[in-house]
Amino acid sequence: MERTFAREVEMLRRGDGEYFEGEGILAITKALLQAGVSYVGGYQGAPVSHLMDVLTSDSKGLMAELGVHTEVCANEAAACAMLAASVNYPIRGAVTWKSTVGTNVASDALSNVASVGVMGGALIILGEDYGEGSSIIQERSHAFAMKSSVWLVDPRVNHPRIVELVEKSFELSEASNAPVMMEFRIRACHVTGRFATKDNRKGRFSMNNRIPEPEFSLDRIALPPATYLQEKMKIEKRFPAAIKFIRENGMNEVFPGENEDVGIICQGGLYNSVIRALQQLGLADPFGKSRIPILCLNVTYPLVPDEITEFCAGKRSVAVVEEGFPEYLEQAINAQLRKGNLNTRIVGKEVFPMAGEYQSEVMLNGLARFIEGAVPAGVDLGRVAKVTKFIADTKSLAAELLGAPIPKRPPGFCTGCPERPVFSAIKLVERDPEIGRMHISADIGCHTFSTLPPFNLGNTVTGYGLGLASSAGVKDALARHTISIMGDGGFWHNGLSTGITGAVFNKHDNLLIIMANGYSSATGQQYLPSSTAGGLRPPDTVVPIENALRGVGVKWIRKQYTYRVGKMQKLIKKALTTKEKGLKVIIAEAECQIAKQRREKPLVGKALKAGKRVIRERFGVDEDTCTGDHSCIRLSGCPSLSVKPNPDPLRKDPVASVLNTCVGCGLCGEVADAAVLCPSFFKAEVVQNANAWDRLLDRTRRRVIGFLQGPPEPAEPGAPSDAPVEDIRVAAE
Amino acid sequence: MSALPERPLSMVVGALGGEGGGVLSGWIVRAAELSRYPVQSTSIPGVAQRTGATTYYIEIYPATHEELGGRQPVMALYPAPGNMDLVVTSELMEAGRMLENGMVTTDRTTLVASTHRVYSVVEKSAMGDGLFRADRLNNGAQKLAKRAILFDMLLLAESRRSVLNAVLLGVIAGSGELPIAVETFAEAIRDSGVAVESNLRGFEAGLAYMRGEISAPEGPPEKTPRRAKPSAASLLADVAKTYPGDVQSLVSEGVKRLVDYQGPAYAQLYLERLAPVLAVDRERGGESRKWALTAETGRYLALMMSYEDIIRVADLKSRRSRFERIRKEVLAGDAEPVRMTEFLKPGFDEITSVMPPWLGRPVLKWAMGNAWARDFNFAMRVRSDTVWGFLRLWTLAKLRFYRPRTFRYATEQEAIGTWLAAIKDAAALHYGLAVEIAELANLRKGYSDTHRRGIANFTRILNEIAIPGAKGEADPAWAAEALKTARTAALADPEGDALDRAMASLASGPRATAAE
Repeated sequence: MERTFAREVEMLRRGDGEYFEGEGILAITKALLQAGVSYVGGYQGAPVSHLMDVLTSDSKGLMAELGVHTEVCANEAAACAMLAASVNYPIRGAVTWKSTVGTNVASDALSNVASVGVMGGALIILGEDYGEGSSIIQERSHAFAMKSSVWLVDPRVNHPRIVELVEKSFELSEASNAPVMMEFRIRACHVTGRFATKDNRKGRFSMNNRIPEPEFSLDRIALPPATYLQEKMKIEKRFPAAIKFIRENGMNEVFPGENEDVGIICQGGLYNSVIRALQQLGLADPFGKSRIPILCLNVTYPLVPDEITEFCAGKRSVAVVEEGFPEYLEQAINAQLRKGNLNTRIVGKEVFPMAGEYQSEVMLNGLARFIEGAVPAGVDLGRVAKVTKFIADTKSLAAELLGAPIPKRPPGFCTGCPERPVFSAIKLVERDPEIGRMHISADIGCHTFSTLPPFNLGNTVTGYGLGLASSAGVKDALARHTISIMGDGGFWHNGLSTGITGAVFNKHDNLLIIMANGYSSATGQQYLPSSTAGGLRPPDTVVPIENALRGVGVKWIRKQYTYRVGKMQKLIKKALTTKEKGLKVIIAEAECQIAKQRREKPLVGKALKAGKRVIRERFGVDEDTCTGDHSCIRLSGCPSLSVKPNPDPLRKDPVASVLNTCVGCGLCGEVADAAVLCPSFFKAEVVQNANAWDRLLDRTRRRVIGFLQGPPEPAEPGAPSDAPVEDIRVAAE
Repeated sequence: MSALPERPLSMVVGALGGEGGGVLSGWIVRAAELSRYPVQSTSIPGVAQRTGATTYYIEIYPATHEELGGRQPVMALYPAPGNMDLVVTSELMEAGRMLENGMVTTDRTTLVASTHRVYSVVEKSAMGDGLFRADRLNNGAQKLAKRAILFDMLLLAESRRSVLNAVLLGVIAGSGELPIAVETFAEAIRDSGVAVESNLRGFEAGLAYMRGEISAPEGPPEKTPRRAKPSAASLLADVAKTYPGDVQSLVSEGVKRLVDYQGPAYAQLYLERLAPVLAVDRERGGESRKWALTAETGRYLALMMSYEDIIRVADLKSRRSRFERIRKEVLAGDAEPVRMTEFLKPGFDEITSVMPPWLGRPVLKWAMGNAWARDFNFAMRVRSDTVWGFLRLWTLAKLRFYRPRTFRYATEQEAIGTWLAAIKDAAALHYGLAVEIAELANLRKGYSDTHRRGIANFTRILNEIAIPGAKGEADPAWAAEALKTARTAALADPEGDALDRAMASLASGPRATAAE
């Protein structure tokens, strides 16, 4: 990954009397160092990629000084397994990944570590990728905490408090011999803020101060009979210890308010939204002083029974603000009140939606409905109703004024993305009557965008690296072909073992296309074992994908540069029609355009400054030969291949147009050629800092051509003045 | 407490992934920090960053840390409808999205939006015109915002060789909606240390606009009328004499186009063909209908007569004006050589199109019946900037004189005849039907497969709906409706599934509606 995190790393060095300023995920990273971790591992994924990016890109050797071992793990299971170090030894460690998908992968290791218990503090930083901006299935991590008896911390979003709770979580883990999960929602990871830093702490044992003797104890092995004992330990020792620690250390917070007759219990991560909604309803001030008392659960598992009963005692009605389904907290609180013989009415999912993120409006309407139902003494219900009505009215007026709903804008492949051409090729292959529509087992990664317009390619997505494995059941059930897709990220994450070895072992006779763009791109261009990074990575550390394939017995392996659409089309057809038996693998190779541009743009800039000859390549469309049928766009969807109102006074339909964001990948031309589209595309190469020969040649050519073209015409009336801005005009009938 | 503001200022930035919305909010946060205000920003990157729509949310508490004396405001992480002071979007449709979500309210929201369009995939990939219309949106913005600042900021940015988000920052600073000094914003840009000079240029431009020192730059007109060849003069005079004002300019364009395409005689033919249509239009009281019949027939007749054969393509591609346009489009300096490669891939369609009918017809008939030949075509990569490459185009273009003797010419004129006849017949029965038939010609577009498909759909709809309607065999009013349905369906998907469905349901349904 060519990005530098020098500034961030500098931030991590700050100590007593200094301040940290930056995103939440970096604050957490800093907190880990202040807590004296000895090892950190993880697998990249939004919203926690940054944690690993920063630690592993640490060029200044801070980690070495502190003796912190950092590792970019092969997948989440590997990351979670790292916590084993804290099982036998008094060393603190943290691992991180995107949840719940990552937790699914990690759960084997998680169960084992949780069962045997830990000695040193073991912390799992979860990027709770839920709601708007999420890229995964919508589930709660809460269930994992419950089933494995690990504790779940859901901190209120405030930098100083988060840092404090990271420290406390390590102590909690040690006090109760259980791993602790801290979940951070997307916005919490990216929220900016500031806190007073403390000196980083060196772990008692670490790479710099090694443990003299290995420890052995049968009790720490997840095998019967120890497992029975471990289960009892959870219930008899760890649970009580955790509850005691949480209560004594005030990890949860009560914010008193004058309306003692009602209350709100919320997940820590939702506290800010609760306060904002109360403010809008005129029930809180900007500093969080609320008229209604609030119990903020920074630890959502386990609950502290006494805290619940004490808070609810003497209240008619209490709202439980809990995001996601099932409503574990609401159920647990209800049960606790029943045991405690309190008849406080718990209001939860009947005023808040069962599913989905609690964004501001959801929160506002939910709390409004709670208040209208609970009628707290002296609260002006009129104002509450007015606020919600005003918003509803505004929205309906807007809908009316706009006339039609605003078209969605789904994410898609970047400009010049090397994966796009592969799907253009697949579309063309499907046009071949001999092949027809295929069942495509898609996978997780940038290439999942193929399932969206304009390609709409991909019938199933079942998980990271599972593209091939997911074709096993369907491949023989369909009359037509089944093909699978896998990214190089998914390949190394588990696709090689789960998919390919399985397919070879079971003698699959299908096609797998591996998108080898050289990085784990969707998560921020992290390196993979097969990454060459344009030669930046030492070749002896690179493991080529084809070697791995041969190693597990794949015979039919072809590599193809993705941008050659015609060749790719032929190759795919060949793979589908060959008599040769067994798994066919096409490695579709070309570097991630973002990484490539990031590396090469500065170099080109330098070369230009230095007066070196540089050729800038881009594509274009002749607006007067384009008839506006947009076939080219349907086969590409490149952001820089757009449309503009037709300048021809007689034509109505918009013409295709290439924007100046074009990076000259050449796909337009390739598609126009392979699909026999239309003659409107042209490639233009601008020779910058042309040498004498270029200039001479150019002058001669222009003179001859100019002569043949005849005398220049006077400028057309009302013709474009200057600058190629037509392609961004507002379309108006 | 009472002295302190009762709530933070809330602002949201709506942008497209990779558009620099993050940088913009970074500047604003920095400016607030420099002003000693508590500030918080958050965002939802992830997949949205890949060209999708995304938002950045910022809260500023307008009292300095000193004034607060250690008190910490609680700041939210989500933009809230009815709670926004400043809504900024880098593109027009995203502004619409903000309105739709109730983020813009009359009591307190200032809307700052650039009015340029970045078209979404759905809009772009429509086979016809799928563009989202902006007019309603401007109106909505004006009605819903306390204050709306809308103009093409991208155009301004480009005219200053700067970037959009810098101009946006200038506009925000100039709007005075945030309690931050203009100079402090500039300082934030300098602090970032990235492309400071060009960013400041954009910032100043946005500022200047807000101070009324400059007005929003004018984009080029959407439509660029063709320049008349001298030989078109007399014909254009005729048009001016005979045609009503509303359609004059359109018919003139048709004339200019055809003189340019083939020559005055051909343009003459155009007017002769259009004259009877104008006559019927007069009889049928076209005036009250803005002469829709003449206009649409005139439009598509001109387009059909100037069909794109290889001669035409070579002609357009070899013109001086085109070479100049491309140099501009690719931002090439005068001294910089520009190499141009054309991607041509003629097949039997194109080859036979320039054969004489007696040869072309049988050859094409054979080719279409032969699997190999149907898909046969040879890739020509022509370097039109080289003398030899240019000569190939130029010579081809010079074949124009021979065009009227080609097979393609014959077939096109044949189609035009049938189509015109249908329009004239229909006009006598049902004005709307006639106009619909005229519009049907919009299906005849594209090249190779797309073109073949277009022609097939055109012919099919013409024979199965238009002509029966025009001859009165089917209820004309029904036919008019049916035509519209079929035409839209034909443009719905390239595979033609939608058209098949539409035709099927039309065939099964009742063939009559309330008469005109």
